[in-house]
Amino acid sequence: MSLLRVENLHVEVDGKPILAGIDLAVDAGEVHAVMGPNGSGKSTFANILAGRPGYDVIRGSMTVDGEDVTPLSPEERSLRGLFLAFQYPIEIPGVSNMEFLKAAVDAHALGRGEEPPSAVDFVKSARIAATRLQLSPDFLKRGVNDGFSGGEKKRNEILQMLILEPRLAVLDETDSGLDIDALQVVAEGINAFRASNNAVVLVTHYQRLLNYVVPDHVHVLADGRIVHSGDRELALELEERGYGWLGD
Amino acid sequence: MAGSATDAAALAEAILARGPSSYAPWLDRRPHRDLVERRSLPELRAEAWRHTNVARWYEVVLEGAERANGAPRIEYPAAVEVVDFADSRAAELQDQRGEETYRLSTQPIAALNALLLGAGVAIRVPSGCTAGSPVRVVDLPAAYQRVLVIIESGACLELIEEPSTYTHRLVEVVVQPGGQLLHRRLQAASSRRECSLLAVRVEAEAHYELSQLSLGSELRRNDVIVTLAGDAANVTLRGAWRLDESRHLDNQVAVHHRAPGGTSRQTYRGVAAGRSRAVLNGRIEIAPGAQQSDAILNTKNLLASDAAEVYAKPELEIYANDVKCSHGATVGAIDDDAVHYFRSRGIDEQTARALFVRGFLREAIDDLDTAQALGVIQ
Repeated sequence: MSLLRVENLHVEVDGKPILAGIDLAVDAGEVHAVMGPNGSGKSTFANILAGRPGYDVIRGSMTVDGEDVTPLSPEERSLRGLFLAFQYPIEIPGVSNMEFLKAAVDAHALGRGEEPPSAVDFVKSARIAATRLQLSPDFLKRGVNDGFSGGEKKRNEILQMLILEPRLAVLDETDSGLDIDALQVVAEGINAFRASNNAVVLVTHYQRLLNYVVPDHVHVLADGRIVHSGDRELALELEERGYGWLGD
Repeated sequence: MAGSATDAAALAEAILARGPSSYAPWLDRRPHRDLVERRSLPELRAEAWRHTNVARWYEVVLEGAERANGAPRIEYPAAVEVVDFADSRAAELQDQRGEETYRLSTQPIAALNALLLGAGVAIRVPSGCTAGSPVRVVDLPAAYQRVLVIIESGACLELIEEPSTYTHRLVEVVVQPGGQLLHRRLQAASSRRECSLLAVRVEAEAHYELSQLSLGSELRRNDVIVTLAGDAANVTLRGAWRLDESRHLDNQVAVHHRAPGGTSRQTYRGVAAGRSRAVLNGRIEIAPGAQQSDAILNTKNLLASDAAEVYAKPELEIYANDVKCSHGATVGAIDDDAVHYFRSRGIDEQTARALFVRGFLREAIDDLDTAQALGVIQ
């Protein structure tokens, strides 16, 4: 059974079709890259997986470990192991990163029927993850994404992923706006996360990140459909030739 | 004498008939009595009471306006002098205060406080003294209360007004040159009708900081008047409120820059839910000659329901030409994107909203933990 299975997914926003029949199966242990030109529906696809309000599923299904997640709330999807790294992480002044993460970790523990971790254990694991992403310990005390640089915001998304240990991580343009050093740090975080029991979907416009996080499959999204699938070579070809030739 | 009055004229009659309170006989009540005799109590729909129905407050003004039994409940370190207003020593401290912190003898509501006064304390921190622990005003045993605070030169204090009940509380504060006061006020939710007046004079190079958290009452009005009276005085006012049901909170704040080189910073964050009503009138006045004043007022409000009301009005009045002065006011809803962000991490919607609101309020005040410990918030 695939970890994620998307079948014939049609999605509209305000009555306007955005996704027009997506099929995708992701198995545990795999990394898939979803690429495509601007406006192809990549971010919609990422957001609909996480259950963002404002999108209407017209037809089709999304299952995680065989369970249809379409009717589930965003928090229920998270508790079942879905994680979205936001393209534009939200700033929440006044709520510290630490408080935010602890609330998330506690919710996940309770969802599994476990006791939430002690504050000491939690802080310890958060510090380890922060260090791995080259974020100073102060970073955890700051307001969530409040005044963070673009690179810090993206690293913060990866930090949350490392701490929550999802089954499926969907990374929405996590590489955009990163300089080369930050890109490497983020890629190392993703590679450290990869395991035989989880999977990653990288949504990206450029193949740059794929130099560091090598995907098993590459898909091209255009006009709300996957028009082409291949392996790593496809990403390199897209880099060279652009997206235009796929429509021919 | 019990009873209720529903308009200014009837209230004035009733107060004059009962005569002034005999508590703290040293207090000169003549100007206050004159004000009431001249029938200068605000009428219904007076501009200064635009958002608060003053007649609703008048209804309760005479309820329990007697001195109750018991002593003021106040905790303080040994270095601080605290005296009951019944003690003639309080008269000496009132003299030490010097001129009024604000033109209280022209304020009709302050007149009611003077004429009906039942409990009061004067607090003095001696020159150069740093009080190691805070002074806590826990409760004063009367409907009409006064607190007088004198921070002598170079002295330093933290003052906490804990949640308590009253019909009117008047607090006068003088921070003498180089002194510092951190003033925390915690106002729990209540079904009472309560008003307070805080008048502060900050002298040269002194620092005054107010941190006020309010949950609103059936009717609550807080008047805050702060005067930067000496050169390079420094004032920080921070306020947060969170109202639900049909609670009401009317904050009328005025900051007067009267001397050169003063700095004032005002930050307010308010959340109005249910059918509540929140008001902030924030006035900054810079007098001629108060050059190099630097004043900022910032207020942000969240409307958490369709039926809640928020009135946010900054006002600037500037009579000096070399000053920095700015204000900002916003009213908006709880950010759906932020709530979704929390939820996408497994946090349920109710917890997400609660955390968001808490964070929003924390932008203005950081002692939410104290407030929680005292039961002001859950």
